[in-house]
Amino acid sequence: MKDPSLQYRWLLLGTSLLTIGYLVAAAVRENFLAEWYQVQKDYQSILKEKAADERGRAIARDFRVELKQVSVPALKTVDRCVSCHNGIDDPRMTGVPLPHAVHPGDILKNHPADRFGCTVCHQGQGPATTFEDAKGEDAFWDYPLLDHNLVQSSCFACHDVEKLPPAQVTLVVEGRKLYQEKSCGSCHKLGGRGGSLGPALDNEGAKTKHQLILTNLAPPHTTWNWQQAHFRDPAGIVPASQMKNPALSGPQVLALTVYMLAQRQRDVPESYLAPDKLEEKVRRLHPQPLAGEQVYHQYCLACHGEGTSGRWDKTFQRFIPAIRGASLQATADRAYLETQILQGRPGTQMPAWAKQAGGLLPEEINAVLDYIQPAASRGAAAATHAPAPPPHGDSIRGAALFTSYCSGCHGPAGHAGVAPEISNSVFQKAASDEFIVTTIRNGRRGTAMPSFQPHIEGARALNDASVGDLLAFIRELGRPQAGTQAAQAGGSGQKAPSHGEEPR
Amino acid sequence: MRELKEQQKSRLEPITIRRRSFLSVAALTSFLSATGLALAGALRLPGPAVLPGPVRRFKVGHPEEFAVGSETLVEEANFTLFRDAQGVYAISCVCTHLGCTVARSAGGFACPCHGSRFARNGDVVRGPAPRALPWLEVGRAADGQLVVYADNEVPEGTRFRV
Amino acid sequence: MSTVTAPVPPSATQEFVHNLRRLPHTVKDAWFRLGHTPESEREESQATFHNLFLHIHSVRVHVRSLAPTFTLGLGIISAASFAILCITGVLLMVYYKPSTALAYDSIKDLHFVVFSGRFIRNIHRWSAHVMVAAVFLHMARVFYTSSYKRPREFNWLVGLGLLVLTLALSFTGYLLPYDQLAYWAITIGSNIANSPRELTDALAITKWFDPGGFQRRLLLGANFVGEDSLIRFYVLHVFILPVALTTLLGVHFWRIRKDGGLARPEGPMGGQAEWGGSMKRVFEPLGTKTYGLMALVKGRRATVNRGPEDTVMSWPHLFWAELAVLMVTVALTLILAFHFDAPLKELANPGVPENPAKAPWYFLGLQELVSYSAFVGGLMIPAIAWIGLALIPFLDQRTGGEGEWLGTPGEKRVALRSLLVGLAGVTGMLAFTVNYGWLRNWYPHIHQLWIIAINPGSILVALYMAWSLWVLKRSNSIRHAAVALFTCFLAGFSVLTYFATVHRGPNWLFYWWPSQWPVH
Repeated sequence: MKDPSLQYRWLLLGTSLLTIGYLVAAAVRENFLAEWYQVQKDYQSILKEKAADERGRAIARDFRVELKQVSVPALKTVDRCVSCHNGIDDPRMTGVPLPHAVHPGDILKNHPADRFGCTVCHQGQGPATTFEDAKGEDAFWDYPLLDHNLVQSSCFACHDVEKLPPAQVTLVVEGRKLYQEKSCGSCHKLGGRGGSLGPALDNEGAKTKHQLILTNLAPPHTTWNWQQAHFRDPAGIVPASQMKNPALSGPQVLALTVYMLAQRQRDVPESYLAPDKLEEKVRRLHPQPLAGEQVYHQYCLACHGEGTSGRWDKTFQRFIPAIRGASLQATADRAYLETQILQGRPGTQMPAWAKQAGGLLPEEINAVLDYIQPAASRGAAAATHAPAPPPHGDSIRGAALFTSYCSGCHGPAGHAGVAPEISNSVFQKAASDEFIVTTIRNGRRGTAMPSFQPHIEGARALNDASVGDLLAFIRELGRPQAGTQAAQAGGSGQKAPSHGEEPR
Repeated sequence: MRELKEQQKSRLEPITIRRRSFLSVAALTSFLSATGLALAGALRLPGPAVLPGPVRRFKVGHPEEFAVGSETLVEEANFTLFRDAQGVYAISCVCTHLGCTVARSAGGFACPCHGSRFARNGDVVRGPAPRALPWLEVGRAADGQLVVYADNEVPEGTRFRV
Repeated sequence: MSTVTAPVPPSATQEFVHNLRRLPHTVKDAWFRLGHTPESEREESQATFHNLFLHIHSVRVHVRSLAPTFTLGLGIISAASFAILCITGVLLMVYYKPSTALAYDSIKDLHFVVFSGRFIRNIHRWSAHVMVAAVFLHMARVFYTSSYKRPREFNWLVGLGLLVLTLALSFTGYLLPYDQLAYWAITIGSNIANSPRELTDALAITKWFDPGGFQRRLLLGANFVGEDSLIRFYVLHVFILPVALTTLLGVHFWRIRKDGGLARPEGPMGGQAEWGGSMKRVFEPLGTKTYGLMALVKGRRATVNRGPEDTVMSWPHLFWAELAVLMVTVALTLILAFHFDAPLKELANPGVPENPAKAPWYFLGLQELVSYSAFVGGLMIPAIAWIGLALIPFLDQRTGGEGEWLGTPGEKRVALRSLLVGLAGVTGMLAFTVNYGWLRNWYPHIHQLWIIAINPGSILVALYMAWSLWVLKRSNSIRHAAVALFTCFLAGFSVLTYFATVHRGPNWLFYWWPSQWPVH
C-alpha cells in the first residue's frame, strides 16, 4: 500500500515551518520592533550628540536600552512613561522632539518622578508601553491622558489651589471665578452648598465616560470633551436638560472644564498632601460666610437674574418671580422672604437654602435678605397702603373666579402653571391674607401679574366680595384634599357657575 | 550487525525496512526546531523584564549643599552621605548582621540590636556582623544632583569626585 | 578492544579511566536502548511498546484510523490544545496574582512588560476557545460516525465528563483577569447557577430547599462576585479541574485501546462474500480485537477465518499523524495569538454593569434561553441535553455503521431533513419571541410556573423530540431518531449561540447589527 503517513509528514513540515516563522516574528516584534526600543535607541544617539563634557559622556555610556518604570505603591501605580520619556529630568534636552524633551517648567523639582510617578498628574494608562495604550483614549481605561492645558486640574488633589503660584493654575482659578460669576451654585452643589436642580459636582472629575451620556458626543469620548461640549450646549448633550446655556467663550469653556476636572475626591496618602491642603479641607467644612451680594450672585443670579423684574424662563417654561422688585418689597415682610429662602418651594425649581438643605449659613441668609430687601423698602409699607383684607368668602364661587382670572397663568389648581405656585405649602404657610390680597389688588409691577381693582370696568374688575371668595379658594388650595376637589371644580367647571355668568 | 541482517534464515529474524527519507528528516527537524524555539521563548518568561518595587535610586541634592567634612543621614534610604576633600561617598546604615539600622556613634556606627560596632569607614570593629558596612555607588544625575544607587555597592574608599 | 592472546586483566584505574572516556556512549546507550531508529517491524513495535509515553498506543493501527477525513483529527486537536493550555497556563502562573486588588494589574504587566507575556497570554486565550470548539466538534464526529456503539459506550460517557470539565475550565478561567468582561460574565454565570431558585420560588419552597442558592454560594464563596470567588475559581482552574481532566483523559485514551482502537467499519462487505448465488458470511469481521504482542514473524500472518487486516505500524505512521495534527493546532493557535490580542476591558467595577453583559460564547446559547426562563434555560434544558446525550449509546444498541460518517442507509437524508427542521424550529421561535414577546408580555401577572412549563426553550425541545419520535416511527430505526434529535439540537444550539452573539444588544434587545447599538 502507499505510504500511509506521507501526507502527515508534509503537513508536519509545513506547520512546523509556519510555527517557526510565527515564533520568530513574535520575538522580533516584541524585542526589536517595540516602540520603546526604537525610542530609546534614538535617545541614545541624542545623548551621544549632546555629550559636551565628561559627565555627559558618562551618561551616554551608562545609558542602557531596557524597559524602565517608576513604581509608586503609595499612589497605587506603576508608570512606564519613562521607558520613552527618557530625558524628563535632563536639562540639556531642549530643542529635541518629544518624547525625548525635558519636562517643561520646574515642576519636577518639587515633584520628582521617582516619588510621584507621572499619572498622578497626567492620568493615562501608566502600565502601558506604547503611546497609544498610554493615552487610553477610546480604550478600556477609565482615566485617559489629559491634554496639556488640563493637567493643572490634578493639583487640586494635594494642594490648596489658592496657595499655589497663580501662573501655574490660571485655568483652575479662572474656572472657579467663572463658576461663581455664572451662578452655577443656583442649581449645583459643591461642598454641600448650592441648589438641587442639577447634580452635585463634588466628584465631577472622577466620572468615567460610562457615567456620562455620550449619545450626542462626537469621539473622542473623553470626559473633558463631554464637559466642553456640555458647556457649549447643555440641552444638545443631555436630552431634556434643564440647564440654561451659560453663553461662554472658548477660553471660558476651557477654564470651567479644568475647574470641573479638579473636583475629584482622591484618596491620596497623607504624606503626599501639601500642608495647606488639610487647612483647605477644614475650610470647606466650615466656610466663611459670604456677603449678601456675593450670596445673591453665586446662588440666585442664574434663575432670578437681577431680580428687579419678572423673567420668562425658556427652559423652565414659566415666569420667575422678581424677588428684588419694588412691588414685592413693598408687599412682603422679612419673615415671608426668609421662609421662602429657607424652605424653598418644594415641587418647583426653587430649592431650600437652609444650612441642612442648601448649605447657606444663617449669617448668609440674613445677609442676602438684607441685599434683596434693603431696610428702606421693607414691607412695612404693606401695612399702611393696603386696606384690611376682606373676610374669607365662598370658595366655590372663588373656584370659578380662579378658573376665569388666575388659572391661565397659575394653573388649574394653583400649580403646574407658568406663574408662581400658589398652592405650594411653603407659600401658603408664609403668605398672610394681607399679602395675598395686596398682591391681587396691586399686582406686581415689572412682572406679568396684573392688578385686579374693584372700580375698573371690564375683565379685571374684582370687588371685595370676589376677592374674599378668591382668598377662601386660594387657602383651600393649600390644603391637600381641598386641592383635588378644587381641581375638579375648577377644571370641569360643572359645579361652578357657567361661563357666561357675571361674578357678583 | 550487517552480517546478522543478511542471515535471515529463520522466520523469527526481523525483516529490515529502511524508511528514512529526506521528508522524514526535514519534518522531524523542523518539528524539533519549532519545539525548541518555543521552549526557549517560553523559558524566557520567568526572568523579570522590570524589577518591581520602588526605585532604589535617590537624588540627594546638589553638591554645593554638602559642605566638605559634612555627614548627612538620608533616613528614607537608610544611608549616610559623607563629603571630604577627596569627594563624596555614601555608607549604608543597614547592619550587615541581621539588617537593623545602625546609629552614629563616637567612633563610627553602632548597632542597637546585637552590639555590632563599625568604624567611621564602615569596617567591623566588634560584634556579630560578618562584614563591613557597604559603600554605595554615588553618581551625578543629568540635572546636576548627586544620586545614590542604593542597590549598587562599590569598594570601600571609592569616592565620587565633585 | 581487539582480541588478545594472553588476557591481561586491566587494573581498576585503567578500567575507571576507560569507563570515564566512554561516558557519552554508555549514557546514550542506557537512554536509547536500541541505539538507532527502528529498522524493522519488530524494532518499530518495541519503540512503541517499551516507551512509557507511547505504549498507550497499540503497536499496530488500522489504516482507516489514520484517514484524515474520518476523525478530522479533532480528538488530537482537543488534547493538543489542552497541552498548550497547561504549558502556557503554568507560565502565566509565574506572574498572575489571584487577588482582586492585584489580578488586573498583573494581566496588564503580562501584556506590556513580561518577556513573551503578551504572546503567551494570547496563546492561552485562543487555545481555550479552540479547545472548547474542538471538543464540541469531536463529540459531533463521534456521534455521526456511530463510534459510541458497543463496546465504546463507556468511553462516550467519559467523553461527556470531559466536555463538562472543559467548559468548567473555560468558565473558571474567564474570571481571572477580573476586568469588566470577566466580572459581569461570571455574575451572569453564577445567576444561571442560581436558576433553580426560579422553580423553588414558584413553588414557594425556597425557605426549606434552595439548591440554586446553595450552588451559587458554593461557587462564589459569598453572595457576590469578589475576592472569595476569585480564589475559588483560581484553585479550580489551576489545580482541581486540570487534575480531574488529565485523569479522565487518561481513562479516555486507555479505553480507546481496550475497545480495540478507533471505530471503523467491519471490513470489506462486512465479512460477507458471494457464495453460491447469495451473500454468505465467510469470515469474522476484524472489528474489535486487541492483542498482546507475542512475536512477530516473517511473512504474512496466518489469520484463519479472519478478514484482511489492513493495519500499519504505529511507529512511525500514527506518530507522524499525531505530531502533524499537534503542529496544526499549534500553528493555528500561534497565528491567532499573533494577530489578535486577548480582550481586556476596564478594571471590574460592580457599580457600572456591562450592557449587554454576555456570558462566554459557549454559554451564550444558554443565555438566550435563560432570557426566557432562568430555570429552563439554565438547568432544565442543559440537564435534559446532557442526560439525553449520555443515554444515546444505551438506547441505540443495534450495531452497524461504526466508523463511517452517517453510515447506515437513509441516515444522510434524515440528517439533512433534521438540519432543516432544527433551523426552522429555532429561527421560527426566535422570530416569534422577538416580534411578539412571550407569556409575560401578554399576561403580566401570570404565575411563573406557567412560564416554566410553556416556554420558548421547552417548546423548542418538545418540537425536536416530537420530530425525533416521528423519525423513529417512519424509518423504524433508533439510530435515525438519534441522528434526528442530535442534529436538531446541534442546529438549534449553533443558531442560538450565533443569535445571542450578534443580534442581542443592550438590555438584551434585538438588533440587526452591533453597529446599531445605541451609544449610552
